[in-house]
Amino acid sequence: MSIPKNDAMLVNEVMMSLDQVPVIDKKVILKEALEKMGRSRLGIACIVDESFKLLGILTDGDIRRNLLKIQKPFSAFFVDDAIVHAIISPTTVKPNVSLKDAVVLMGEMQIWDLPVVDDQGHLVGLLHLHPAIQALLGIPQ
Amino acid sequence: MEKTTVEVGYGSVARVKIGDRLPLAFIGGPCAIESRKHAFKMAESINEICRRVNIPWIYKSCYDKDCRSSPDSFHGIGVDDGLRILSDIRDEFSVPVVSDFSEPSWAVATGEVCDLVQIPAYLCRQTSILRAAAQTNRPVHLKKGQFMSPWNMKNSVRKLEADGCNQIILADRGTFMGYSMLVNDMTCFPIMAETGYPVCFDATHSIQMPTSMGNISGGQREFIPYLVRAATACGINSLFMEVHDDPPNALSDANTVLDIQYLENILGQAKIVHETRLELLDKYGEDNVHPEK
Repeated sequence: MSIPKNDAMLVNEVMMSLDQVPVIDKKVILKEALEKMGRSRLGIACIVDESFKLLGILTDGDIRRNLLKIQKPFSAFFVDDAIVHAIISPTTVKPNVSLKDAVVLMGEMQIWDLPVVDDQGHLVGLLHLHPAIQALLGIPQ
Repeated sequence: MEKTTVEVGYGSVARVKIGDRLPLAFIGGPCAIESRKHAFKMAESINEICRRVNIPWIYKSCYDKDCRSSPDSFHGIGVDDGLRILSDIRDEFSVPVVSDFSEPSWAVATGEVCDLVQIPAYLCRQTSILRAAAQTNRPVHLKKGQFMSPWNMKNSVRKLEADGCNQIILADRGTFMGYSMLVNDMTCFPIMAETGYPVCFDATHSIQMPTSMGNISGGQREFIPYLVRAATACGINSLFMEVHDDPPNALSDANTVLDIQYLENILGQAKIVHETRLELLDKYGEDNVHPEK
């Protein structure tokens, strides 16, 4: 059985809106960022400035690696600014890029989430791998 | 991380700038304002010593000592008289002044006179005190509580910032090790400096042995020079010491205040260690070992 493919779809047709994504201020501490990530069931938080310009991303993987690398007490770790542990220049995608190209990019980078930014670098959404694949395969969500 | 320079001083007094790569500043004076005559005598003596050592300084003395162990201990000269004396010392010596305050309602009056307002260590996380300090619009000298980790001082910093204060100095005055004993963790200076604000070492309270004498605190003054050299080498931007011309008869902290006869010796050493550290940074670069952490 063949599944119809939606090669012409764009990122902005599938991306998650900002109210579905953990978006945090640059002064939020790590403990608060982790709580917000935990509530969303996503392994990523996007850190933005006052105008929603994307400053960095924080992922489960970054925290996992830093837990092993930064050997300081949990109470000190938790009170760090989340951005200290963030990736400052993450891979991003524009909203009018084809969904197929975005998924290929995620495969190349071995990542599950792509922040979607406009031409000025403002965060407008997040492309998560599972809904992107489902959309490409034409599987109802 | 952006580093903040704190500028202390308004009106006609000298400006003392405290921050990264700036000269070490001294904050000092008798713990409590004992009398007008004594306060002036101390200001004159310290001013002369700081002139000889060539170190910028801020006169410190408090009008109310609310954390004394005994109800019979000297509690202070009072807000009105104390602030009048501090104001006159400002005028006479053109030196900025600092006093702490332990009651939020005293903040406005304290900020109207003092160039720098100080938050006592025991009250360092009290929201009402922090808010009142921020609302004076003066720089704030925030002592780390003996019960606080250096990293958790960030929460107090954020409270000050929430009320508009972005001129903060963070000071260490020792950390409780069990009962009646303090220790200094020198890593607290780079940790607190991660806030971006300058850091200070309170040497004379660090050698305090809290309430070790039953109803007053003891102290081990002989360790002051060792700790001053260590803290200065660890990157403090200002040094705090309480100084007295007759420690055995000091009305507050008699067991911890530094006899003024040793002040020039210690300030001179601190200044040289500070300048040497800056030279080392120029020669070898910033302390950047294992930056991946």
